[in-house]
Amino acid sequence: MIYLVLFIGIAATLVVTLAFDWSPQAFGMALVLAASLVVLAVKAELSRRQAEAFRRRLDELDRLRAAYDQLDQQAKLIIRTDFELHQTQEELDRRLASLMSLHQLGRQLQVSLRPDEVFSKLDATIVTNFGFSKGLLGLCPSLDAIQWHSLVGVDSTVAEQLTAHLVESALLKHILMNPAPTTLRAAAVINPAQRKLLELLGVPSVVVAGVIPHSGPAGCLLVGRAGIGGVNPKADEELVAILANQLASAVENSALYEATWTAQRNLEQKVQQRTRELAEANVQLLRLNKAKSDFVSMVSHELRTPLAAIKGYASLLASGQFGTLGKPQGERIEKIEKQADLLTRLINNLLDIARIESGRVTMERRPIPLEDLLSGVHDLVHPQLQAKQIRYTVDRDGVTELLGDAQHLQRVFLNLLSNAIKYTPEHGAIRVALKRDGGSVLASVSDTGCGISTEDLPKLFQEFYRANDAINQQVRGTGLGLALVKRIVEAHQGQIWVRSEHGKGSTFFISLPAT
Amino acid sequence: MPKLAIVFGSSWFDQHQLLQGIRSVLGTVPIAGVSTAGEILPEGPVSHTCIVMLLACPGLSCSVGLGEAVDRAPREAGQQAAFAAIRDLRGTPRVGLLLFGDGLVTTYGDVVRGIQEVLGTSALIVGGMAGDDLRFTQTFQYANDRVVSQAVVGALLGGSVKIGVGIEHGFAPISKPRRVTRARANVLYELDQQPAASVYEEYFGAELVRRIKHEGLTRQGIAYPLGVQSEASTRWLLRNVVAFSDDGSLSCSGEIAEGAWLQLMIGSRELALDAAHAAAQQAIQSIHHIACVLVFDSALRRKLLGAEHARMEIARIRQVVGQTTPLAGCYTYGEQAPFGAASIYERTATQNGAVLVVALGS
Repeated sequence: MIYLVLFIGIAATLVVTLAFDWSPQAFGMALVLAASLVVLAVKAELSRRQAEAFRRRLDELDRLRAAYDQLDQQAKLIIRTDFELHQTQEELDRRLASLMSLHQLGRQLQVSLRPDEVFSKLDATIVTNFGFSKGLLGLCPSLDAIQWHSLVGVDSTVAEQLTAHLVESALLKHILMNPAPTTLRAAAVINPAQRKLLELLGVPSVVVAGVIPHSGPAGCLLVGRAGIGGVNPKADEELVAILANQLASAVENSALYEATWTAQRNLEQKVQQRTRELAEANVQLLRLNKAKSDFVSMVSHELRTPLAAIKGYASLLASGQFGTLGKPQGERIEKIEKQADLLTRLINNLLDIARIESGRVTMERRPIPLEDLLSGVHDLVHPQLQAKQIRYTVDRDGVTELLGDAQHLQRVFLNLLSNAIKYTPEHGAIRVALKRDGGSVLASVSDTGCGISTEDLPKLFQEFYRANDAINQQVRGTGLGLALVKRIVEAHQGQIWVRSEHGKGSTFFISLPAT
Repeated sequence: MPKLAIVFGSSWFDQHQLLQGIRSVLGTVPIAGVSTAGEILPEGPVSHTCIVMLLACPGLSCSVGLGEAVDRAPREAGQQAAFAAIRDLRGTPRVGLLLFGDGLVTTYGDVVRGIQEVLGTSALIVGGMAGDDLRFTQTFQYANDRVVSQAVVGALLGGSVKIGVGIEHGFAPISKPRRVTRARANVLYELDQQPAASVYEEYFGAELVRRIKHEGLTRQGIAYPLGVQSEASTRWLLRNVVAFSDDGSLSCSGEIAEGAWLQLMIGSRELALDAAHAAAQQAIQSIHHIACVLVFDSALRRKLLGAEHARMEIARIRQVVGQTTPLAGCYTYGEQAPFGAASIYERTATQNGAVLVVALGS
């Protein structure tokens, strides 16, 4: 277009120039006109190009604006997604904090020893970690009574009003009879009693639950939330259900503990009572035992005099001072003497036992050369050993002396050796061994005799107990020897015991303090 | 003898008994403090506790002033608190004012103007607004023997002490910028000549906004504050939406100026941790010897960070200020500190969603 105008302009200039017959003025004017036209044309061209560039920029701007709006749309999407994510994250955090609280509460409840202690464990940390702002936990002794033990974000005046309302409106009964927690929301609650509960608590949403162990309803739990948004009521109910169950288990456990504790206390009291009774009986027994010992001692003394007379007269008769005795009379007199000897031994032993028991005999604690003690005993039993051709050995193992009363310890060894000889068959063996055992000396007397039956072993050291075996039926004894030995050893603060196997011999052990 | 006791008490306690308990131990030491939305110890965030920090050094002077009825007459309350505080500190060079206010009140612009009329516009004002564990029903302020609500408490520090301040939020803009075309005080009416609520709905969706309004999440649930940017500043001042009105306007947690640019902001845990680090660095910049550190952290941030990251946030601050430096703080509903170079906020502004680190030392 611009070029057409330029062409027409130049053509018109030429025509004007020709029309004025190439006069210089006309030529000059035509030249100016042509130059103006050229300038005009150039400017017009520049404008066209600029307009084109502007249009292109506008297009670009439109595209940018569209992209910007698109980004803004995406921002909206991001915000909405982020919002949802944020809420989910918050819910997760809350659940995690709740579970941690439940775990900690569980540990605390484990050491709750009384049911009322369990109900005082709800604190601000648990309530807030659960995402609530108010909490009440109370013990319900019946379906129409509550004793609040935990109050979080609620003062005692409000708690009293709540108690009255829960009881009067029968809401408490409903809570305690219903095992599942219930959410009451201001927006949804239609029951006026429930609405009043929310008003009293001053919250738009509350979860109520009964603490119901197997034994029956025990308590009531209420937790309220200041805001009602952003939470899943089902999740709240689940958490509260776990909490209520945990509390119910703790109530059961503490009741069980209380029962166990009471039973144990009763048992302890009974044990103490029995111990007292036993101690009294023991005192009585000791008194009786002393009376027995005194009696035995007295009787033995009284018996010894007539017995000595009997022996004396028997000896006189046997000596023939009152005329020669016939064979049958001599034999009878001999039997009287033997029985009198046996009776004397018996009485002596009984007297010794009684003396030791009553503490009237004091055991000396002096070093006794072992050599002297054992050779003295050996001298006494040598004839019997010879008669039965028994091999007798002594193993001292470096022990040179014993600590104690020489006379009594000699009786111990004599008694044990006499017994061993009695029960050892001909050509058998008897061994006396000694060795140090810490602060004691352990002495043993072993034989290769017939041994002692298992049922006889526990009674062996009792007075007048005699094993029921063939030898005892042949050999007479007092049944007091081992009882006396035991008394002497124990009076030395020592111990005596026996190890034996029927048919394989016996070993008597004596442990005596060496210091 | 301590010069000042700063108290951060959980709103779970009976507040009068709490203060009586503290007073029974401290005797006549001046007390200033607030109820909280959680307390901060060097080990990390805690709840349902009471923290008492005592300030004592030879060159330090302190006095506490109280201004009441902040909701009805904010400017007068600010003046009242500043007058009371300055009266007892005549002749001592003033260093700054620790400000504790009611976190449910949104008129701190006027309070600060009131204070500045007494102390001068160059006075440093830093502090935190009381919380109540996100219940948003009642917060408490402590001034000597008194427990009050809807009040402002100023603890004026004087002497040779130095105060270092660092404040950051770490939120980033996510929406298209909109021009604030109509706003008055803390109420935002129009953005780009459209009702503010409709713009909000655009981003959250009508259904979500309806749920937020209906379920009472407005104040506690949204981690997307509004970022306000004046022509003169490149920094965003954060504001929370605290209520939706039926006329389509939004009530915010602080003043919003007409003509400013506004964007919706989004936060992330990483950005929040970086912000804490940066705030701590700003705070200690001019302090040679750090005596103690106070942290006023937004309750919104605690929600955003979650328990684990909230602990990490305090750890990040301690990395900067020193592991052995005494540190105490609380979670607040608003943080008061100088804001960039924005002249329209007279240098100091109540902020939201921010972490404020105040270092005291020499």
